[in-house]
Amino acid sequence: MLGVILNPYHLQIVSFILINIILGISIYITLSSGQLSLGNAGFMGIGAYTSALLTINFDLPIFLGIILGAVVAGVFGILIGIPALRLSGVYLAIATLGFGEVIRVIFVNWESITQGSIGLSGIPHLGRELFKSFQITGFDPDMLGLKNNQFIYLLVVLTLLLVNILLIWFFIRQNKSRVGRAFAAIKMDEKAAESMGINITYYKVLSFTQGAILAGFAGALYAHVMAYISPADFAYHRAVDILIFSIFGGSELIWGAIFGATFMTILPEALRFISDYRYMIYGVVLIAMMAFRPQGIIDVSLLNWFKKKLKIKRGGSLGIRTKKYN
Amino acid sequence: MLLEQIINGITLGSIYAIVALGFTLVFGVLGIINMAHGEIFMIGAFIGVLITSVFGLPLWIAFLAAIGVTVILGYMLERIALRPLRGKQGVSHLAPLISTIGVSILLENLSHHIFGAGNHPFRHSFAQIQFQVGSITIYLVQILIFVISITLMVVLSYWLSKTKAGKALRATAENLETASLLGVNTKRTITTTVILASALGGIAGILVGMAFNSVNPQMGLSMGLKGLAIIILGGMGNVKGAMAGGLLLGLAETMIVAYGDSGYRDAIAFITIIFILLLRPQGIFGKNTAEAGR
Repeated sequence: MLGVILNPYHLQIVSFILINIILGISIYITLSSGQLSLGNAGFMGIGAYTSALLTINFDLPIFLGIILGAVVAGVFGILIGIPALRLSGVYLAIATLGFGEVIRVIFVNWESITQGSIGLSGIPHLGRELFKSFQITGFDPDMLGLKNNQFIYLLVVLTLLLVNILLIWFFIRQNKSRVGRAFAAIKMDEKAAESMGINITYYKVLSFTQGAILAGFAGALYAHVMAYISPADFAYHRAVDILIFSIFGGSELIWGAIFGATFMTILPEALRFISDYRYMIYGVVLIAMMAFRPQGIIDVSLLNWFKKKLKIKRGGSLGIRTKKYN
Repeated sequence: MLLEQIINGITLGSIYAIVALGFTLVFGVLGIINMAHGEIFMIGAFIGVLITSVFGLPLWIAFLAAIGVTVILGYMLERIALRPLRGKQGVSHLAPLISTIGVSILLENLSHHIFGAGNHPFRHSFAQIQFQVGSITIYLVQILIFVISITLMVVLSYWLSKTKAGKALRATAENLETASLLGVNTKRTITTTVILASALGGIAGILVGMAFNSVNPQMGLSMGLKGLAIIILGGMGNVKGAMAGGLLLGLAETMIVAYGDSGYRDAIAFITIIFILLLRPQGIFGKNTAEAGR
C-alpha cells in the first residue's frame, strides 16, 4: 500500500520543497527587519561547500557537517552584516548580490579545494547514511512493504519535515517575542524604533545573521540530499528564486514564504509537459502576480478571512483558540 | 602592450557605460532597478546578429532594427510590468523589482527558445580591418565603438541638460509630484525614459556583438549584473557617474585579464563595489546622502 504511493520522484520533489521552505524563511527573516538581502544564495553555497568538504575530507558525521555548515555561514553573515548596516534598500540588495557572485567566483577558481566548476561529487547522502544506521538495528524496509530506494527517500523527507516543523515553530514563537516586535518596529520606521530604545544595530545584525545561518543550513542539507554540488547551484538564479519564494507568497508573513516556496517549486515540475515554455510561463506568472496582487498571495487580510471561515466551521467556542495561529 | 590594453579597456568600458546609462536613467526617474535591462540588451545583440549574419544587410540597418525592437520592448515593459504597479496603495518597493525579474526570465527563455543556447557569431565586413600606430594595433571596430559611445553620451548629456524634454526628465527624477504640479507630463516622461533606456541597451547589445563577435542568451545576465555594479560605483541615478564608472570597470577588467588572474574577471566589479560601498556608501560620484538614492 505505502509502497505504491511513495514514488521516489515525488519524494525527491517534496524534499526540494522542504529545503526551499527553509530558504524562503531565510529571506523572510531578513525582510522582516526591513533589509533586502540577495546574498542568501552565497550563504547557501558556503554552508553546502563547508559541510560537503568536511564530510568528504575528514569523514565527519553528516549531522556535525550540516551544523558546522550553518555555523560557518552564520559567521560570514556577521562579518557581512555589520558593515552592510551602513547600506539600505537598493544598495544593500546590490552589495549582497555582489557578495553572492564573489563567493561563486571563488568556488569556481579555488580549484585545489572545490574542484572548480566541475563541482563536488560523492558527498555522503543523508538518506543512505540514515539507512545504514537503521540497518545496524536490524530494520528492514520490507517490513513496511517498501523498497530500499523508497525508504531512503522517505527518510530524507521525514527528517526534513521534522526540521521544518521545528524551524517554523521557532520563528513563529520568535515573531511574537520581544525580538519579533523589534524586527517589525525597525521595518516600519528605523528612526522611531531607535528613539523607542531598540538597539537597531543588534537586531539588524541578528536578523541578517539568522537569515545567513538558515541559508547555510539549507545549503548543507541540499548538498547531502543531492550528493552533488557545483558553483552554478548557488548563482544569481538561486538568489532570485529565493527572493521570489518570499515575495510571491507574501513577504509580510512567514506563511507567505512557506506557500511561495511550495508553489514555486511545484510550478516548474507541474509544467514539465510543456518543458520548452515552462520558464517563460514562470516569468509571465511573476509579472501578472505583481500587477494584480503585489503584496503576495498570502497577506494579513487573507489570513484573517481564512481564520474567520475556520471559526464559523468550528463554532464560536473554538474561535478563540484559532486566533492563536497568527 | 600597456597602451593596447588601455585601448581594449576603454572600448569595453564605453560599452559598459552605455549599459549603465540605461540602468541609471530608469533608476533616477522611477527609483527602481530594472532587472530586465540586461535581457533587453541581449535581444538588441540578437537583432544585430539576425540582420547582419542571417539577412546579410549592412550594419546601420542592424542598428535601426535593434533600436526599433528595443523601443517596442521598452514600451511594453513600461505598460505591462511597471505602470500597473505605480501609484497603487500598499505596493512594496520590491514589487517592481520582481516584475522586472519576471520580464527578464521571460525574455531570456524566449530567446533561448528562438535562437538556441549556443554562441552566435556576429559577422560584419570590417572585422579584420586594423591600423598600425607605431607598435600598437588598433582595430577599426574599436574606434567605431568608441566613437558611437562617446557620441551617444555627448548627445544624451546635451539632451538632458539643454532640451525641454531632458529638463522634464530631470525634474521628474528630482521629485515626481512637484514636477507633475509644475505641468510636466510625468506619465509621458516616464515612458520616454524607459524607452530611451531600452534603446541604449539595444545599441550596447550590437556594440558588444561587434566587439566580441559572439552573442548568446546568457550574456544579458552578466552584463546586467555589471551594469548594477557600475551604477553603484558611479552613484545611483548619476549620469556622469555611470559613464566614469563604466570606463573604470572596463579598464579594471582588462588589466586583471592581462596582468592578473583572468578567472576573477567577473568578480572584480563586485569586489570593487563592496569596498566602495563600505568606504563611501553613496558611490564615488554620488551625493552626500545615501538616503537620497533609496
